[in-house]
Amino acid sequence: MAIVEGAKGSVRDHDRLIEAIAARADREAFAALFAHFAPRVKAFLMRSGTAADLAEELAQETLVTVWRKAALFDASKAGASAWIFAIARNLRIDAARRQRREMLHAMAEEPEPELAPPPDHDMEAGERQKRVRAALDHLPGEQRRIVELSFFEGRAHGDIAGLLDIPLGTVKSRLRLAMNRMRSLLGDLT
Amino acid sequence: MTVTHHPTEATLAAFAAGTLDEGRMLVVAAHLAACPECRRTVRMLEATGGVLLDDLPPVDVGSDALARAMAEIDGGGRDAGLSARPGRGGEVIPGLSPAHQTLLASYEMGPWRWVGPGVSWRQIETPTLPGGRVFLLKAAGGTALPDHTHTGTELTCVLTGAFRHEHGRYGPGDVDEADDEVDHTPIVEPGGECICLVAMQGRLKLNGLLGKVLQPFVRL
Repeated sequence: MAIVEGAKGSVRDHDRLIEAIAARADREAFAALFAHFAPRVKAFLMRSGTAADLAEELAQETLVTVWRKAALFDASKAGASAWIFAIARNLRIDAARRQRREMLHAMAEEPEPELAPPPDHDMEAGERQKRVRAALDHLPGEQRRIVELSFFEGRAHGDIAGLLDIPLGTVKSRLRLAMNRMRSLLGDLT
Repeated sequence: MTVTHHPTEATLAAFAAGTLDEGRMLVVAAHLAACPECRRTVRMLEATGGVLLDDLPPVDVGSDALARAMAEIDGGGRDAGLSARPGRGGEVIPGLSPAHQTLLASYEMGPWRWVGPGVSWRQIETPTLPGGRVFLLKAAGGTALPDHTHTGTELTCVLTGAFRHEHGRYGPGDVDEADDEVDHTPIVEPGGECICLVAMQGRLKLNGLLGKVLQPFVRL
């Protein structure tokens, strides 16, 4: 197969690949998606403390889940990477809790009939991802680091305080500042 | 329904990261069902997770990983959504929004138990939750909830009705986050009853004479 392991496609391409899986069970699209995301999902899981073997197994399961749930993917709501991140996050949790947690996270997507603004269909997934990346780059390094450790790697605030040798209150205030900053930059985005 | 009290940034981030325990996760989900603003925040965090994921340096996966994934795909089908879960036989809890009914439908619950005059609670079974507990708390209009302090954190989402304490009024969808430094006496607004979803870590300590009398029976 002529796919370079870990090749970086454009963001829109990833959305199209998932749509191709949904529309016609496109195995080449799956292989391309796998080549990009499986090594990254494995890296993500290893960062949050999962052993390499299990991380590989769960990365594989993440991509298989992408195949199975491709019909639920909606590029106007979340880009491919955000969607795959959410799947990998749910798998990071032990199997006993998994099903319920998925349902609880699905609450975050429940549309509010009276209040929700119509989704911005004009916004291309690539544009959204670019803006999120710009907002992240806009954060002071110390705040970005807290976002990575706390939110992405799922570490407890106490661990982060120890790791960075800063008081617990500083961890909390940096996370709060980072989230407020991102909300003000991206409030119109989703 | 206008929500004015939201979970802290740290709690929302932990929800989006999947690191909250099941009880607190359930309470945050109840808030999200009522709060478009926090739903946007969670989506923003997931988009952020996606960008961070995309930017990670890839690590090697086994040369047969794709082949094994393909084999698994061939073995199973594709599903269209979440499968149905067992529930409490369609029991409806009066006064709750449809979204909150749905949220709680898959959980086994104990019976309502009396805690004090006008106040009862109902255990929600979460076998995956060690050292914490989650329950419904129901109080009649005008009731003062037992004066209490905690040994851990308490996360509450109002499902119906409203209560007040020194930090303001809490109506449907509002979240109250309290830690072990808080000593509060919530009072339910006169009129209808108030039902809250409460996730607690550690133990609840009831203060005052009533508390001393009740503590051995309540086991909260």
